[in-house]
Amino acid sequence: MNYSTSQFKNGMKLMLDGNPCSIVNNEIVKPGKGQAFNRVKFKDLITGKTLEKTFKSGESLEAADVMELEMQYLYSDGEKWHFMDPVSFEQFDLGKESMGTALSYLVEQDKCIVTLWNNNPISVTPPNHVILEVTDTDPGLKGDTAGTGGKPATLNTGVVVQVPLFVSIGDKVKVDTRTNEYSGRA
Amino acid sequence: MTEVVTPTLLNAPTTDVYIDSIEVSVNQALSKSSQLYLHTSPELEMKRLLSKGSGDIFQICQVFRDNEQGRINSNEFTMLEFYRVDFTMHQLMDEIAELLAALGKNEPIKKMSYAEVFFEYSDIDILNSDINDLKTILNSLDLNSDDEWIEDIQMHLFVHLIEPKLKEIPLCFIYDFPKDQAALAEIHGPVAHRFEMYINGTEIANGYQEIQSAQEYRDRFNEELNKRKALSKPFEFLDNSFLKDLEGGLPYCSGVAIGIERLYSSLSL
Repeated sequence: MNYSTSQFKNGMKLMLDGNPCSIVNNEIVKPGKGQAFNRVKFKDLITGKTLEKTFKSGESLEAADVMELEMQYLYSDGEKWHFMDPVSFEQFDLGKESMGTALSYLVEQDKCIVTLWNNNPISVTPPNHVILEVTDTDPGLKGDTAGTGGKPATLNTGVVVQVPLFVSIGDKVKVDTRTNEYSGRA
Repeated sequence: MTEVVTPTLLNAPTTDVYIDSIEVSVNQALSKSSQLYLHTSPELEMKRLLSKGSGDIFQICQVFRDNEQGRINSNEFTMLEFYRVDFTMHQLMDEIAELLAALGKNEPIKKMSYAEVFFEYSDIDILNSDINDLKTILNSLDLNSDDEWIEDIQMHLFVHLIEPKLKEIPLCFIYDFPKDQAALAEIHGPVAHRFEMYINGTEIANGYQEIQSAQEYRDRFNEELNKRKALSKPFEFLDNSFLKDLEGGLPYCSGVAIGIERLYSSLSL
């Protein structure tokens, strides 16, 4: 199935140079004395890179068979990360290179979004907020609750996040996975 | 400068390759119906006046175009069109800058030739690249290279490589377009004395040092009509009455069309 430029809209999944891509932004440009173009910003769903292309109005691209499913992260055997579709109980696995930032945030049993292309998993998106445990951080100064400077803390997935000075080892903290920022105590 | 009003309903559609006139059916005496066309710009009617010795003239009017698409395009918009006798293209650009300053737009103006803008934002020597050179560049960018006319390819590269960079420039004039994009501007060697004004990457104005000879107008119109034919576009006939009126030629002059809605929306930014 093909989509022509007049059908383009944000979020549409299309094949570009052999890779599935998602339209991030679609702008029609019609020079006063020229033909119309669509200037389109894509995100490559495999590499995560964004790219910009300009199409002549009327060109078309093949639709990409891409699905985003909520799944449960089961475990990792060190080489593969295993997930399960809670509806069909079907299991999928991904290599480290496809895990992206999800590596830093997922703990077993967490829910996340797995993107399938032609029914093969290509990427994982963690929830916007996850709750993780502090496994290492310097002790804070007594009486400092204002959190003026903050300090680095290592969490149970291995990721390092700036936290306020009052946070100590064993505390559970809420982290925004889009910015890698501390967003509160859990 | 004299304000003029010219007809909106014309006997002939525009010949512009990528602009389509809106056709209207009108009933005349004895219920004989005929087709007329809403003007896509007051250009030709104003040039009739110039050829009759009107001197400097301006007009603000609604214009109508079919098959428009995009967020900042519309089937109807407002145009300011004016002509200055004995003005070069550069003098006209200076005057437009003064007009914008009077409207409170005082940002520094960047002025670049079409060739310079390509050198600044790409490594393409646009005036010395033939159609095959440019197709090779399109291919290397993974862009469609089916176009058969060099001006279409030049514009594709402009839209892809240059226009996004212009978003950071508050006000810029680009002049000396390749002769293949002359439209109705006088050609001098490899370039046409045509300019466009961009405000933060949006095309606001298009101007020419105008062609003076009626024969040259006829040749340009026929060239455009042949291209419309090749693209299977409707309306392939010439406004012969315009060409007849122009037989004595146009005085040396420069003219510009400014999109008023786009200009005003850029002022309120």
